[in-house]
Amino acid sequence: MKKLITYTIIAVTLSSCFRLDDNLFSPDNKITEYKLDNYDGEVHFVLDASYAIPSNLIKIFTLNSQSPSESNPTTIYAIYIGETNTISVDTVIMYCHGNSNHMDYYWQRAKLLANCGSKNNYGVMMVDYRGYGLSDGEPSEDGLYADVNAALKWLKGNGLTNDKLVMYGYSMGSAPSCELTSKPRAMVPFKLILESPFASVAVMVQDATVLGMPSSFVTNLTIDNAEEIKNISQPFMWMHGVNDLFLNIETHGQIVYNNYQGSYKEAHKINGSDHSDVPLMYGFQNYCNDIDVFIKK
Amino acid sequence: MKRINYIIIAWILVFHLFSCMPSRIVRPLDKGQKTIGAHLGGPLIGFAGTTIPIPFTSIIYAQGVSEKTTVFGSIHTTSLLFGVIQTDIGACYNIYYNDSVRIGFSVTPAINMAYDKWEGNFKLWPQVDVNMYWDIKPKKSFVYLGVDNWFELSDKKAHDQDQTNRWIINPQIGYTNVRKKWNHNIEIKYLVPYKDNEPGVVDYKGINGKGAVGIYVSFTRKF
Repeated sequence: MKKLITYTIIAVTLSSCFRLDDNLFSPDNKITEYKLDNYDGEVHFVLDASYAIPSNLIKIFTLNSQSPSESNPTTIYAIYIGETNTISVDTVIMYCHGNSNHMDYYWQRAKLLANCGSKNNYGVMMVDYRGYGLSDGEPSEDGLYADVNAALKWLKGNGLTNDKLVMYGYSMGSAPSCELTSKPRAMVPFKLILESPFASVAVMVQDATVLGMPSSFVTNLTIDNAEEIKNISQPFMWMHGVNDLFLNIETHGQIVYNNYQGSYKEAHKINGSDHSDVPLMYGFQNYCNDIDVFIKK
Repeated sequence: MKRINYIIIAWILVFHLFSCMPSRIVRPLDKGQKTIGAHLGGPLIGFAGTTIPIPFTSIIYAQGVSEKTTVFGSIHTTSLLFGVIQTDIGACYNIYYNDSVRIGFSVTPAINMAYDKWEGNFKLWPQVDVNMYWDIKPKKSFVYLGVDNWFELSDKKAHDQDQTNRWIINPQIGYTNVRKKWNHNIEIKYLVPYKDNEPGVVDYKGINGKGAVGIYVSFTRKF
């Protein structure tokens, strides 16, 4: 009996493969096309006509993205807002979206950023990570970094220079934003903006368990924005909803902000805002003004 | 608020595993008696528009070493599936029993340990259950009321933040139906009732926004 139990434990442990890594990602890949302004799924806000983007400034295209562990590239979808033939002189915001849905869901947010400062002021680049929207493949941590880097390669190939690249990460998008600013690959951003970031997988686990449990008990993910931010010297703007019921402002965003040791940082704690409505509760005008001032500072 | 994504349910499946098992032994077994039991249940959460208990599982072996003391050891089967060997080992000691009213008090110190095969991390949590039980009939079915105490030994959390949750208190109430060869148990535990259950990635169902209510059932075979 004892031997049976022992062998069973060993066998189950060695063969166990349940990890929670995939559950960080909540992609919607059921769409058949990107509808952008015609998207009728649930979104947190819809901008009025004054934020419209002319169709000639919207480019939907594919990129080849290859993570270090892949032998073949994965095809992912991207959207660029702006004049593609003036990228070399434009300032571009690389918008890294959150863990749910797809680019249609984030379209309103991308439009807002494009219009910060003035009408169609900034170029905005956005990708659907692998497994999201129409992009091929399955989501993964390495894939996140590879996919955003593929977008940066495309921007670089179209003439964008490091001094005009702004990295913007929302929620889970804070992971590739921090990783690729801390350990640059194709390009080196000159500014970093994080909206409702999470500190690390370790904090997610500990917040949920109350106890001090190692994250390795449940996941192999190594995302650690709170450590990555220590290596970032570029100016940093942080915004977070005070009433964020998903990623606690104190245990997540505030830790990232406190750990930043670079040249300049600014914090915007948005009263009344939850996790998904920071731009709305911030006020679109205030949100845009502050971002524009930060980028031009 | 609609949660960002209820797929995150899977995170919960093990997140609370480590502090969400029912009382192991409340009333000591007879000397020499052995039991093997299966425990199932967990805290209530909102999921896909409804409320469900998380189905955590564990298997426990217990043996009466004297009329007052029962030792036990368990293996957390759900943890095993995640490559984590977790066990709690302890003893239940009957500290008082009044024959006339059939009310007893027991204390159950235990050590809860977990080790993962991925990075080799190890954690240990001391645990003490204190229960009052009432035998409805002598040596037959009983109800109990008690407190489950967990102790976090680390004073720091991730990123060198202070660990403020060093002593976790979970009150519980339960009923054990004693049969000839089998015992059946149901227990309701109120997990960390003094702590806000928001913000958080999990939609725990507590009372007035505090803690989480857990429901557990156990099936125990006696030998």
